[in-house]
Amino acid sequence: MKLSDIMAAAGLSFYAQVALVLFLIVFVAIAIRTFLPSRSRELDEAARLPLEDGPVLRPSLQER
Amino acid sequence: MTPATSAAPDAAVPRASAATLDRFSYDDDIVRKFLFATLIWGVVGMTVGLLIALQLANPFFNFNTQYLAFGRLRPLHTNAVIFAFAGNAFFMGCYYSTQRLLKARMFSDALSRFHFWGWQAIIVSAALTLPFGFTQAKEYAELEWPIDIAIAVVWVVFAVNFFGTIVKRRERHIYVALWFYIASIVTVAILHIFNNLSMPAGALKSYSIYAGVQDAFMQWWYGHNAVAFFLTTPFLGLMYYFMPKAAEGPVFSYKLSILHFWSLVFMYIWAGPHHLHYTALPEWASTLGMLFSVMLWAPSWGGMINGLLTLRGAWHKVAQDPILKFFVVGVTAYGMSTFEGPMLSIKSVNALAHYTDWIIAHVHTGALGWNGFMTFGMVYWLLPRLFQTQVYSKRAMELHFWIASVGIVLYVVAIYSAGVTQGLMWRAFDETGRLQYPDFIETVLKLMPMYWMRVVGGAFYITGMGIFGWNIFKTWATRPAKYEVPVIEAAPLAPKYVETHPVTPAATAWGRFNQVQWHRAWERAPMLFTVLTVVAVAVASLFEILPTFLIKSNVPTIASVKPYTPLELAGRDIYISEGCFNCHSQMIRPFRYETERFGEYSKPGESVYEHPFLWGSRRIGPDLAREGGKYPNLWHVRHFENPRAVTAKSIMPAYSHFLTEPLDFDVIQKRVDAMAMVGVPYGDAVNKAPAMARAQAKDVAAAIASEGGPKGLEDKKIVAIVAYMQRLGRDIKVTATASAPAVGRSGGSH
Repeated sequence: MKLSDIMAAAGLSFYAQVALVLFLIVFVAIAIRTFLPSRSRELDEAARLPLEDGPVLRPSLQER
Repeated sequence: MTPATSAAPDAAVPRASAATLDRFSYDDDIVRKFLFATLIWGVVGMTVGLLIALQLANPFFNFNTQYLAFGRLRPLHTNAVIFAFAGNAFFMGCYYSTQRLLKARMFSDALSRFHFWGWQAIIVSAALTLPFGFTQAKEYAELEWPIDIAIAVVWVVFAVNFFGTIVKRRERHIYVALWFYIASIVTVAILHIFNNLSMPAGALKSYSIYAGVQDAFMQWWYGHNAVAFFLTTPFLGLMYYFMPKAAEGPVFSYKLSILHFWSLVFMYIWAGPHHLHYTALPEWASTLGMLFSVMLWAPSWGGMINGLLTLRGAWHKVAQDPILKFFVVGVTAYGMSTFEGPMLSIKSVNALAHYTDWIIAHVHTGALGWNGFMTFGMVYWLLPRLFQTQVYSKRAMELHFWIASVGIVLYVVAIYSAGVTQGLMWRAFDETGRLQYPDFIETVLKLMPMYWMRVVGGAFYITGMGIFGWNIFKTWATRPAKYEVPVIEAAPLAPKYVETHPVTPAATAWGRFNQVQWHRAWERAPMLFTVLTVVAVAVASLFEILPTFLIKSNVPTIASVKPYTPLELAGRDIYISEGCFNCHSQMIRPFRYETERFGEYSKPGESVYEHPFLWGSRRIGPDLAREGGKYPNLWHVRHFENPRAVTAKSIMPAYSHFLTEPLDFDVIQKRVDAMAMVGVPYGDAVNKAPAMARAQAKDVAAAIASEGGPKGLEDKKIVAIVAYMQRLGRDIKVTATASAPAVGRSGGSH
């Protein structure tokens, strides 16, 4: 008996629905967590990361 | 070159005390390299695009040479624009922003250089192999197996360099742009490897290990997600870095960007099967693909709104700043094409749009607008920073913006109307119940004015590229004699995490769970985060892929379907190498107008020996799934020699070289063997393929001669491709034991 026969006999098609539900649960959990008020300040700071380039010291020169 | 210096050998000091600081500099040289590569390959890819647009408007522009014919240049155009232009643009922005967001120089300068030169070498090898007809025939994955291996190696080097940088970062939080980069890097690797699994049959020839329905499924799982994880998520990451930079304010909503990220990663990977609506793909798979595609509407528009609203309070600047103008149109184009994508995935819309130019218009809204304009905005923003001088001409930037915008509008308006016209003409019946346009060529000729308008639109856009290049060159020319390399000071990451936003632990266990400190700890572990992303992508993929491969009832077999004879296989290889699948589908959908025009609709069991599948993705010419026996052999010979001698005003390139070039019988054995290796029951043919091919070639040549055609063709390519054409779609017309071309043991493994 080939592996594909065994898999075909196993009837795994309902796994797709299971995966869908799992994904939905994970997604809802992420969504709830993201909008928790306790995280606001942390996330606002994170949002500013691209704008904070850090202090620049003694520029040196590089051959182009 | 200033090496990254570290003044903090003792990194054990917690960040909060900031007693010792690292000193280091960024590698901008690699960013400059990718910037020039973006420009050069952008010009090349778009110029090839203009040439093939001209070829569709007038076949004269094939210049009667096989190396410049549409079928061979079209994959060169798509590969160049996707992987060379957009790819280098992503690497440029990624190398610039990653270093700054992580406050660290790239992990290894040597790996950065290897990534750069390796990627350019791959592009050059693509540009050399595709026009010579070396192709796997899988859309956006045409490159042959040695190049595929090189791509995997270079991609791994990029990944090591990128994740190495993450590990040695000095910024605790992984900014959302980097999440998008991570998802792109890991997902592209998975897609590339699994779609390209193939059995080599020579130095530059291979057969996909998947067949028919499964191959189509894998291909569009890859194809759709190449759009998702090569053209969408990388550029969204770039948007989340460069839009705030240009607007000088943070992203509108960081929370929205987190949701945007996770919903895209969860949903995109399922959406591919919408490319196979009404084909022989099982119904459940295409419905699932449609469902997830429609759901993608929400996160895509969430991302677009987040991008546009980042400009709140900066809208007055948009009028003055061409960079912001590019970004606004780029993000709007993202919104338009991601509105259209889910719409096109709805089956009833897809029934009209599939195989028409509508899809071509759709991808160009995305490529010209989203990828192109985001790249232009990013490059203009980077120019003064990378070359430490002013952008040479702001007026040229404005001109570039306007001329490219007009170009996009001309292009998409023309091709949208071409697509809808085509779709409506194909399905039109007259009052007596017959096809209103039975001749396919009628539906093609109607489009010629629109094809010319596309040429004009494309020419506008390329003119913009010229201005862009000139401005870059002039800016580069005014760079200082030596670049300044700023030395940055930042605290190293403490090995032990110090909570910057401590939360008083709740009294109850449930309360502590709800504070999700556990998840916060996960988030500080980017490698774990990467693994989770891989799990999400892999699990989602497997739940679609496994049933497609393993549930046998999805592909009912047909006893009369037999493998191609060795000569037909050689003909199929010629068909593949000429890129015929770029214009001809081999998939008749179950619509009355299709069965009326082309014949009985295609069944899944018909393609069980098709390595790779050849269903095509659009129809510039008629479908060929039932071509066998429709016309005499001589008709095919004349048609290849000069299509216009048989079909007046046909836009097909001439393939007169089929009549003169010798057929290489010696390679046939290797190819039959490779097909046998991937499970095609070839029986005796594995021992005597060339002899069988020669015998059949003699018969075909004799038949051509007896029909009044040229003599002495038995060792020319034309006999193989005519044999293949005459075989197409015939198997299901014969009964199980009747006269299907005997190849080996009948029945095979099923």
